[in-house]
Amino acid sequence: MGGLSLAKQLVDAVIADFPDHKPGTRPIHTIGVGVEGYFEASDVAKTYCIAEHFQGPRVRVQVRFSNGSGSPKQHDGWSDVRGMATRFHLKDRATDLIAMTLGEFFVRTVEEFLDFTGHAHQTPISRVPLLQKILAMIQFKVFQRDPYPEQVASGDAGTLDYANKHRFAQLSVVQAGDIGAPVSYVRASYHAVHTFIITGPDGVRRPVRFSWKPVAGVRTTDPRDPPVDVYLKKELENRLDQWPARFLLMMMIGEPGDALEDPTQPWPARRVRVVMGTLTLTNVAKDQEAASEKIGFNPWRLVPGIEASGDPILFARRDAYQESQQRRDATPCPFHGS
Amino acid sequence: MGFVDKLHKFVNYELPKSPFFLWIAAKILVPFWAWRTPVKPLPGGPRYSVQPGDNVQRMMNLIMPLKDKSPVGRARAAQAIAANKDEIYAGLDNVGTVHFARFVIVDDNICMFSVYDGDFTNYIRDFIATIGSVFDSVVELVEGGKDVIPSEQNVEKFIDWVHAHDLYQVPDTVTDILRDQEAAGGDTSGTNDLLELPREIILQLHVNPNVSLGSGYRAYPGYSVAQVRERFGIGW
Repeated sequence: MGGLSLAKQLVDAVIADFPDHKPGTRPIHTIGVGVEGYFEASDVAKTYCIAEHFQGPRVRVQVRFSNGSGSPKQHDGWSDVRGMATRFHLKDRATDLIAMTLGEFFVRTVEEFLDFTGHAHQTPISRVPLLQKILAMIQFKVFQRDPYPEQVASGDAGTLDYANKHRFAQLSVVQAGDIGAPVSYVRASYHAVHTFIITGPDGVRRPVRFSWKPVAGVRTTDPRDPPVDVYLKKELENRLDQWPARFLLMMMIGEPGDALEDPTQPWPARRVRVVMGTLTLTNVAKDQEAASEKIGFNPWRLVPGIEASGDPILFARRDAYQESQQRRDATPCPFHGS
Repeated sequence: MGFVDKLHKFVNYELPKSPFFLWIAAKILVPFWAWRTPVKPLPGGPRYSVQPGDNVQRMMNLIMPLKDKSPVGRARAAQAIAANKDEIYAGLDNVGTVHFARFVIVDDNICMFSVYDGDFTNYIRDFIATIGSVFDSVVELVEGGKDVIPSEQNVEKFIDWVHAHDLYQVPDTVTDILRDQEAAGGDTSGTNDLLELPREIILQLHVNPNVSLGSGYRAYPGYSVAQVRERFGIGW
């Protein structure tokens, strides 16, 4: 299967999971907000990686926070994975780091991804009858949460079925089912999930995984409260009017034997963890069309010092993101010289 | 919100925490499911590992029930630690693989929590060699401890005894408890249904009431005592 036809297939598969998908918008992470700020590398970052944004001087960044759904309807308060795509603007180019609130991905290969998205089709849902809930309780089983107001379909049953048949998907499915809604986009941890290979000034190459850790701390909304559909952008505007928001960029260094090419596998918490820098977000971008809708990120927009690992999902994302950007007429950002 | 909605909200959020349900769960449901789908207690102590990062900053969490379950018994345990302060510090300094070690009394248990580098059996062996007498004075106050002291003359038996009191370390990733139970042949339910995960955890905590949760947070993961001391210029 060719790269482009596979990319088309991947994008189509994702779109098929959201029947109300609006052509011209992102297939997932459709609703988002563009934010501006800067990144400052830590003192030790340059000893691990020669990439330009880790050398010290302040670097301008654009960040797009997003809700995971591919639906054009905004439901900030629904339990959902959130995204944080960051563009570092360097001297004569740019590099992206794409992260999400889920620590691991659902599948290991493109074939599994297509199978998974096939399972994740939306199916009608309704509230579980009271007696069934009580029956589940006495069996110490989880029962499906009540649908949100206006929610008539969900992909949860299919993803659960997939996870019950495929152990590698179990961790991410459990975590996604329990992820909740953040009280703020800057009160969640975001993980880049895939392994990248960095090169230090001494030529040493290390496998690493990146995560953004919010200085404001992690907090989700109370699931007992009725979900609010629209609040995350306003909350960010109000917050940044008062004070900047910050994230630490943490980098975990893998060891031989760790899953370098399998994004479903977490690395042990005992791995060396390095503070690579601080991201400071100063304001919500005025031009949201450019900063959120048209901007096109790609996990393969890398600079010397950072390479993609052999992770097949990471590999597939390069063309899939390109394909998606072409379909929605996003602002082109070449891999070099942007 | 209508009556039925309120009822659903009650069942979703309030009923599982209500004294009524908690009583039913403890007295009837847990014993029933423990009989119907029994699980074996998972073994305590650190996981087998060969990677460098897994071999440093390992946890030991000993919970040892005191023979004398009275304030006098607890005071005797406190006294045993206080009386051996010099021996403990000298031993810890010399063994050189211990990041932190603490003795704690919780109810009628004397507990030792430590973070150390390297192999578990060597860690205990080192301590028997350096402060075996302190171990002896504590262990003789503990249920079943008499059989393994003096530790210097019962090295392997003593190591096994300590291992048996080391808590099961629940994995960081919640679904891995299913894999642990399968590996130990301790899961008879044969389930692969994630909806039953809460029951699997409840039944494991039924047979294994004291556990360590997760692999523990570390401010400087991946570094040994020796590396930290060397970097800060405070020892080898």
